[in-house]
Amino acid sequence: MIGSTLAILGVLVAIFAAVAVKDVLVSRRKQMRYNLKNCLVSYGMMMPAVVLTFIFVLLPIIYSLGYAFTNFYLLKPNDIDFNGVDNFKQIFESIRSKGDMYHAICNTSVFVVCVVPLQIGLALGLALFVNRQKAGVGIFKVCYFAPVVISLTITAYLWLQILSPSEYGLLNSFLKLFGVAPKDFLRDPDRAMLWIVVLSAWQGCGYQMLIFLSGLTNIRKELYEAAALDGANVWQQFLHITCPGLRSTFLFVVITVFVGACRVMIQPMLMTGYQSHTVTLSYYMYVQGYSYRWVGYSSAVALLMTIVIGSITLLQRRLLREKD
Amino acid sequence: MKKLFKTFGVMAMASMLMLGSACGGGGTESTVDKEGNTIIKIMFHVDEKSAEGQAYKKRIDAFNAAYKDQKIKASASYIARTAGAADYEQKLTGMQNEGSLPDIITFDAPNCASYVKSGLIYDISNIVPQDVQNDFISLNKYDGKLYGLPIQESSAGFYYNKKIFADANIDVSGYTMENPWTFDQFKAVCQKLEDAGKTAVDMRLDATKDETATYLLYPFIYAAGGDFLSADGYTANGYFNSAATQSGFQFIKDLVTEGYTSYAIGATDFFDGKVGMYLSSGWTIPDLDNKYPAQFPNRDSWGLLPYPKGTAGASATGSWSFAITDNQHEDKTQIKELLLWLVTAESSKGITDATGMIPARKSVETNYAAGSPEAVLLSQLEKTGRERPATVGYPQFSNNFRQVIYDMKTKDLATVLTEKASALQAELDKLKGM
Amino acid sequence: MENVNVQNQQKLEEKRLHDRAQRGKIIRSTVYYVCGTLLAVLFLFPLVYMLATSTKNESAYAADAGSLMMFLPDFKNLSAAADNYGKVFTDYGIWKYALNSVLYAAVIIVLNIVINGLAGYVMAKFEFPGKGFFSFIILFLIVVPVETSIIPLYSIVKVLLGLKGTSSVLAVILPSSISIFNIFLFIQFFEGIPKEYEEAARIDGAGSLRIFFSMILPLSKPIVATVATFCFIGAWNDYLWPTMVLPYAEEGAWPLYPIQSALTSIQSIQGITTGEIMASLVVTSIPIFIVYVVAQKYIVQGFGSAGLKM
Repeated sequence: MIGSTLAILGVLVAIFAAVAVKDVLVSRRKQMRYNLKNCLVSYGMMMPAVVLTFIFVLLPIIYSLGYAFTNFYLLKPNDIDFNGVDNFKQIFESIRSKGDMYHAICNTSVFVVCVVPLQIGLALGLALFVNRQKAGVGIFKVCYFAPVVISLTITAYLWLQILSPSEYGLLNSFLKLFGVAPKDFLRDPDRAMLWIVVLSAWQGCGYQMLIFLSGLTNIRKELYEAAALDGANVWQQFLHITCPGLRSTFLFVVITVFVGACRVMIQPMLMTGYQSHTVTLSYYMYVQGYSYRWVGYSSAVALLMTIVIGSITLLQRRLLREKD
Repeated sequence: MKKLFKTFGVMAMASMLMLGSACGGGGTESTVDKEGNTIIKIMFHVDEKSAEGQAYKKRIDAFNAAYKDQKIKASASYIARTAGAADYEQKLTGMQNEGSLPDIITFDAPNCASYVKSGLIYDISNIVPQDVQNDFISLNKYDGKLYGLPIQESSAGFYYNKKIFADANIDVSGYTMENPWTFDQFKAVCQKLEDAGKTAVDMRLDATKDETATYLLYPFIYAAGGDFLSADGYTANGYFNSAATQSGFQFIKDLVTEGYTSYAIGATDFFDGKVGMYLSSGWTIPDLDNKYPAQFPNRDSWGLLPYPKGTAGASATGSWSFAITDNQHEDKTQIKELLLWLVTAESSKGITDATGMIPARKSVETNYAAGSPEAVLLSQLEKTGRERPATVGYPQFSNNFRQVIYDMKTKDLATVLTEKASALQAELDKLKGM
Repeated sequence: MENVNVQNQQKLEEKRLHDRAQRGKIIRSTVYYVCGTLLAVLFLFPLVYMLATSTKNESAYAADAGSLMMFLPDFKNLSAAADNYGKVFTDYGIWKYALNSVLYAAVIIVLNIVINGLAGYVMAKFEFPGKGFFSFIILFLIVVPVETSIIPLYSIVKVLLGLKGTSSVLAVILPSSISIFNIFLFIQFFEGIPKEYEEAARIDGAGSLRIFFSMILPLSKPIVATVATFCFIGAWNDYLWPTMVLPYAEEGAWPLYPIQSALTSIQSIQGITTGEIMASLVVTSIPIFIVYVVAQKYIVQGFGSAGLKM
């Protein structure tokens, strides 16, 4: 492991050196010298971050990339062989035969497509709701943020009680008032994922509410006052002042919620266990890499996920970015 | 310039320190302590404060007292095995990765093949004397070699509420191990319970998030004449989805469709007197004895019935076992002393007294009263006990089994079985190629 | 006379308008508070449930399951609550783990602010050869959400760095001390600080480190509070990673586990009641709640001023 680590370090340092030399040459040509003292201070102050990033961020990524092309079995760490694209062949075979990988892709897509608009809509609505000067608004803010604070584990446990199939379950006893027979919400192959969507949006939207709120405070009050004088109604104000003002916040929220949604795992894990109608990509990766011990295979899934999620985020960025 | 050097120096020192502390922290752990005792490390899968943990602790303390003169000292650690992230297994894998495996570990019997295959546990065929081996009810073997000694044996059955049975006019005294009840008789009892307005039986169909559902329900498939895997443990197609296997699952599914059981039975419903029968292992005996005096004041208020018989008899077995790990300690002689100490008749009794399970050794005096629940479990274990399939892909098998149990309520059974058989087959093929 | 009448009518008219506006305002306010409260109930009920259950013994819990009573504490038997909380603190020694968590979180917060803050400061304010390389890496890691399994990180910590035994604590702290996202936040915030401040300090002869600690950081309270709060929540809620890397407690020794790891083993103690589990969950949720209430003003400011331009 030390050998490969040094090799990776060497490559990175070489790239860095090339960039640095180029910078120096360009600056010479432009007659704009770097200040040697400043440079050294900069390197010194960057050093802790650089070292830690290399060890704990870049190395795992690079190793994970490498493992995707090996047969690494968790219990045999000293016996790793390259096996080319075998892992990827297996992945596509599992998709083709409608195996668990296929289900994982479907479920994750359903989750992402539903949860992103729902959670962002909720968050924006709440942010607009609490963004005013009124007594007690602060208390509301704290309340709406509360589910973010309690961990996902507790959330999942609680919603299990709410969605319990027993006629004494919270939702079922409520439905009973309307004469509806008890339902087994999480065992319904078509709807289970939607329930997970609901509770995830409920749990997470407080965080995005906070971010929207900070975006809203950045919009200058005079704009609204001017618009009100011009006779613009609330809706027009929202459309022409709030929306453009929130653009960069919105992009940030869309991307973070999207990426977070793609990684959903704890909720199905604790609420239904590994089932074909709720297994998600991250959960599949965890089971393959950890329970079944196929680190190589699981890394290959991770690599594909990175490629897909990465391209979608780049696309979002392109579509939503301010044109400046 | 001076300031510059100071700045740079501080930063450089800071990062060096970080790296230094990061690298220098290792240190080899010596296996001999200050007083010259050889330390033997052992790891248990339960919390130290639990009754079972306390029983282990007592045995370890007794060992240390007995071997004081020989300068051997056992050092135990207790890692609770939790359902969510599987702490215990995780630690085990981690320790193997970093080369710090303890000398003796406990492991769940079905994992045997998989641990052997990955070089985690050690062949103890020649370490354990033959007469000791012969005294065990079962042994953890793979490929004809011995790898583990059971801590205790387990068996499961149907606990029933005698008051509910009496109110519904059900007489089950004729259903014994000598004369086991059949699938049809089981259903007839369920029907009577339902007529009496009770939920008939808690089959633990909701326990699919961990091993519980597999452990309690797999015997039904064997009892129906079905099977899961080929003898070598690498083929699922044609076994997992065979007609006989399907009929076993169908029996469980029928119990749901006919309303005898459901996926929505509360964890305490049986203990609150809402359910007639409760499928569970021996660990429920201490609970019934102590925890629910309102419904179950004494042993006359509940009984235990064996698994019903299909074309064959089958009941759940298998528990945790001790194994010596294949770690850096070449010399296993002192480790052997501790292993054998932990499985003596005395240890065995101390542990099973705390857990309510069956001693793993035949020579342990049990003195169970005839007809007592313990006696039913013991005789069932001897007569119909059948192990879960021995396969390197046991986690994969168990996962797919539980998915069938989960899915069969809403989906067509034949389709589910075919689907899961091929999913399992794909996993087994990967393992075969390893 | 007529004049007075007209005036009176005008006054009445004004008053009516004013009343109507007032009434409208009151109605709108009422609607607002009712909606707000309903929403609050919707978002708060898990905490209420947790709190309520933590006051019950097993039979009260079972009796209340499935009814609205599950959201009300057991007033009839308050000693059950005392039992639950007492047990959590004495028998299960949760305070040791809580103390561990607080210590880990404190170190992680300080390192996070210093390390990522320094990097952000340099990237925002200095020119040096090779800066483009660092910018690219930061941008890449922010833009591309890289999926990795946790196992490579595990082998780096255990095999490459050899962090075993007590030094495993470093394996909990160091990886959490670096966050590209925090560097990114710092860069955005620091870019908004006018250069003049810094130049004035430089003329007074202050070195870069001193400028950072005595000027830049104090000027950046909102972002520091944001980073600190989220570090704390992250460190306090982190469970999988510390459980993986930390050794189990040897007999008699002080445990190294943080609170969340301890929680899972507490939950698997045989015979523990739901009330006790909930009591331990309440105990673990309270610090985060307090931290959030204290820091929420800064968080909004922090995100706001960083601008979050991606």
